[in-house]
Amino acid sequence: MQQLNPAEISEIIKKRIEKLDVSSEARNEGTIVSVSDGIVLVHGLADVMYGEMVEFENGVYGMALNLERDSVGVVVLGDYNGLAEGQKARCTGRILEVPIGEALLGRVVDALGNPIDGKGPIETTLTAPLEKVAPGVIARKSVDEPVQTGLKAIDSMVPIGRGQRELIIGDRQTGKTAIAIDAIINQKNTGVKCIYVAIGQKQSSIAAVVRKLEEHDAMDHTIIVAAGAADPAAMLFLAPYGGTTMGEYFRDRGEDALIVFDDLTKQAWAYRQISLLLRRPPGREAYPGDVFYLHSRLFERASRVNGDYVEQHTNGEVKGKTGSLTALPIIETQGGDVSAFVPTNVISITDGQIFLETNLFNAGVRPAMNAGVSVSRVGGAAQTKIIKKLGGSIRLALAQYRELAAFAQFASDLDDATRKQLEHGQRVTELMKQKQYSPQSVAEMGVVLYAANEGFLDDVPVNKVVAFESAMLSYMKAEQAELLATINVKGDYNNDIANGIKAALETFKSTQTW
Amino acid sequence: MMAESITIARPYAKAAFSAAKDSGTLDQWSEMLAYSSLVAKNENMVVVLDHPALTSQQKASVFNDACGDKLNEHAQNLAYVLSEHGRISLLPEIANLFEAFKAQLEHSVDVEIESAFDLGTEQQEKLAQALTAKLDRTVNITASVNSELMGGAIIRTQDLVIDASVKGKLAKLAEAIGA
Repeated sequence: MQQLNPAEISEIIKKRIEKLDVSSEARNEGTIVSVSDGIVLVHGLADVMYGEMVEFENGVYGMALNLERDSVGVVVLGDYNGLAEGQKARCTGRILEVPIGEALLGRVVDALGNPIDGKGPIETTLTAPLEKVAPGVIARKSVDEPVQTGLKAIDSMVPIGRGQRELIIGDRQTGKTAIAIDAIINQKNTGVKCIYVAIGQKQSSIAAVVRKLEEHDAMDHTIIVAAGAADPAAMLFLAPYGGTTMGEYFRDRGEDALIVFDDLTKQAWAYRQISLLLRRPPGREAYPGDVFYLHSRLFERASRVNGDYVEQHTNGEVKGKTGSLTALPIIETQGGDVSAFVPTNVISITDGQIFLETNLFNAGVRPAMNAGVSVSRVGGAAQTKIIKKLGGSIRLALAQYRELAAFAQFASDLDDATRKQLEHGQRVTELMKQKQYSPQSVAEMGVVLYAANEGFLDDVPVNKVVAFESAMLSYMKAEQAELLATINVKGDYNNDIANGIKAALETFKSTQTW
Repeated sequence: MMAESITIARPYAKAAFSAAKDSGTLDQWSEMLAYSSLVAKNENMVVVLDHPALTSQQKASVFNDACGDKLNEHAQNLAYVLSEHGRISLLPEIANLFEAFKAQLEHSVDVEIESAFDLGTEQQEKLAQALTAKLDRTVNITASVNSELMGGAIIRTQDLVIDASVKGKLAKLAEAIGA
């Protein structure tokens, strides 16, 4: 904990007493009639609003979710062990809010924005409601700037734009979180603020993520919102909304932010639990009727907004800047079943998905993305020129390779053209492999893609492709730093750049050092 | 479950209330329901009402006999109807709802005042006047003394609680400092 000296403490107390309103208060009160796992039924509370905070006798708060004729269903946001039938519950007239602002960067907070990293209170006075309505059509701007994840396979084949919602979906242990963490690490020094919302994960996993981000100096631009597996279901349900509110602060100030929900399957489970305990009628897979809305209203808030909206929001302080909140929701499937309820819902809401497969992962293809079924519906418009130009043929090469690979297993002798395609496909597959925590810049990716397109790999043995790539990149960094820097500035692609890369690669290949 | 029993009791209370209103016997009904709900809560009566070997007819007649001549014919019929569905035990809720309907009709409201010191009649009258103006109802005050409040008073009526006690203010202060 942060150290405070006694003078400071008394100053804080003084301030708080000054603000205290001592007039007598009129409030609405009710009586608890039943307490079940995290759900309390209250009789009375005639004036309670939907979503209002309700205070219990032991100081714990709850949120009113079911307003019925004779009772109010309240989810408890905290420890419900002290609650008993007959205790009083009272209205507060407030709805749930979380702190927002720059001060949250680098911090680990719970679903309601309370710090849980032991680094003292959060120095911000700004708060915003947990649930907000997404900006309307007039405030929007189309997606045309990229979010570089630093992963070749993703940036070339399923590009993500600022303000896009791109789903990461796959079974357990397929590297879903790894992609999200790489994307966060790659936002270092780009001005993109990141929010990582951990839902229903082990505390140890959350701690590991925080440590990895710290190791890569990525915590300074990141907020971690953690609702662990041991937290009440209500916290798991609320965490994504809280995280989004924190991200919206940056979006509304004309900055760019990236939010990762890891993972929304668990949030849907938590919501299902709450709903069933509230006795709402169960539907498919026992989820309540509004799971679709649960996710759609969340993703709608991830958006790109235009300059007018930002200007209006900051009262003219920030002019002519667009803001964006990009969302990378994660969904865990069971046995590759994407036609389950929640996966289909989220696939239909998002602007594309990155589909990860266990057998690819086990075959050593990492990121284990299935290029055939992964798509990005809007990211193409946002790709940098060089990647767009050079990456187009990668997808094609992989698609042809997949088709032929199945067929080539039976046919023993193949014609030359087919064999060539097969070999090229193998090399591209190798080339798309990338180690964790080693994101690449646009220029590096450009060079790699150029090498694949222009046949520089054709005489490299398949098992040497990875070594070739790393040797090539270190050569380029050492000898052609200027060229790489020029590409990185705007991501342009023209004859000069093409010729520059070509010349450099030819010199590199003549050294035969891989 | 209390909330559910109220939901179930409401139609019975409504029926009894409109019957009483039409025949102009609101006060009589109010007394009958109050008495019968006491009987329904009686330990021995609970045993009878839960008894598996008795028919609903038998339970109702035992119940009506126990109430003696306090119930008129209509109230006895109510007991039969309730018994048919095993709901005689809902009578306390029915009586409460009946009183609520009655209070609404009469434009009155029950107010509990809990104060740290005994309120004099003058103070009580002042409070009654202020509350009548605020709630737009005639108020029936029940006053009690609770020295734990240290000073001031708490006023309760239905869901509304007006906390003007020293204890409440201290709790607020504690919350403000602790937050």
